[in-house]
Amino acid sequence: METEESCRAWREEFRLDFPVIPDAEGDLFRAFTNGWVPWSVLIGPDGRVVFSENEFDEEGFSAAIRQLYQEPTATKPAIRPRVQSAGRTVILGGGTGGLVAARELQRRAPAGHRVVLVDRSADHVYQPSLLWQMVGQRRPEQFRRPLHRLERKGIKFHQADVEELDLDSQIVRTTAGDLEYDSLVVSLGAQLAPESVPGFDQIAYNLYTSEGCAQIHSALEALREGAIGILITSMPFKCPAAPYEAAFLAESFVRQAGIRRNVEIHLFTPEHTPMPVAPAALGESIADMLAARGINYHPLFTFSELRPETKEVVASDGRTHKVDLLIGVPPHQAPEVVRASPLLGVSGFVHSDARTLQTNRPGVFAIGDVATVRLPSDKALPKAGVFAHAEAKAVAAQIADELEGKTSGASFDGKGYCWVELGDGRASWAGGDFYADPEPRLKMRRPGRPLHWGKIAFEQWWLRHWL
Amino acid sequence: MKVLEGLRAIEPGTIVPVGELGLPVAGTKGLLLVFWKST
Repeated sequence: METEESCRAWREEFRLDFPVIPDAEGDLFRAFTNGWVPWSVLIGPDGRVVFSENEFDEEGFSAAIRQLYQEPTATKPAIRPRVQSAGRTVILGGGTGGLVAARELQRRAPAGHRVVLVDRSADHVYQPSLLWQMVGQRRPEQFRRPLHRLERKGIKFHQADVEELDLDSQIVRTTAGDLEYDSLVVSLGAQLAPESVPGFDQIAYNLYTSEGCAQIHSALEALREGAIGILITSMPFKCPAAPYEAAFLAESFVRQAGIRRNVEIHLFTPEHTPMPVAPAALGESIADMLAARGINYHPLFTFSELRPETKEVVASDGRTHKVDLLIGVPPHQAPEVVRASPLLGVSGFVHSDARTLQTNRPGVFAIGDVATVRLPSDKALPKAGVFAHAEAKAVAAQIADELEGKTSGASFDGKGYCWVELGDGRASWAGGDFYADPEPRLKMRRPGRPLHWGKIAFEQWWLRHWL
Repeated sequence: MKVLEGLRAIEPGTIVPVGELGLPVAGTKGLLLVFWKST
């Protein structure tokens, strides 16, 4: 804070004739702001705060001043708490959903509307690239981008942990101060909980982190013989194809290293078939490809425990397999701050409307992996970046329409697709309508090199376009 | 100037006791507070 002396010097330097109040202890600052500077507050002669914003919103500020000058003090009605066009949307999470929501809303919202994105990390990580990192085809810096780049687009990036969702007061409490919002988009993703599996940190590598994928790559390089296991510990998990892609890529890796005949590969899953939300034919196709590559598939393997001392994976029915290199899909759960909020649904995640992504609170949306969206078949929409992306666009359109006073017809259509990496520079592709009744209508394309190149092209486009 | 313990006045619409705070608002159309840091 400024001292009295520095205020006086500043006044004299700029020949200011209005009162300058030193706030050396920061008492006024704490009373009137959320901890950010610059912060502007306009107070009417009756003591009513008529404008209070971080930085400077010319439109809202001008409107507030005009009102003060136009209306006699005695009859001045209460100014509405927020001028709509100068309101604020807070977006929690800098993953796929959060980034797309922020960029789309900033592009579509009326001038003066503030878009703030909160994330604990300084960087966005494009998660589909983790699979390529796992086999040494990507370095982490190739698929990380600093979130502060959002500021160039007029989006405020607030690096902090979210501590509390105070939905009644419309305030998000973070480690770097409170944020008031008019609309809230919760896109915090799913929290990985490897610590909930005893022994995971001793014998398993986490497929869903960059650190874990770097460890898998080192372990694959060092492997000469033995068994590789890919273990899905529980449902749901994000990106339904990822563990299968990991199996295909690991198989390709050891084959190219010339040690395939010395290595067994096993995939353990509680699912009855690969990607069970999709029509049966698609799962059968994946299972056939696993078999064709000599990958041992263990469906309905309800994981029970890890035995680090013997490097064993155990199912609840007693099936036990020894592995030498274990690639783990840890349990997924909603982030702690969401679990402690009234948004939490019985699924353990936030239940969002299938079309609008609205939660049980008006003006609060949940998108991406943190959300549970029910399909007509009563199954849940898979957790995948492609859905987070499309949901984010639908939510941004709704908020922008509402800000313009329009009735919004924007909604998420349930369409989605994904590439399935098969190794050897080849990929497959499946996509279609997940909202089709009674079950999703999906098509799978014939595997080949062009689909692998398509996946790479999409990665490059995504990283260039969104950050 | 006196600061009231526990005062939180971020939300527009809040009425603050300008007299007790000693904010020079009397006889004006309003008061602008700008919080900033010179460095």
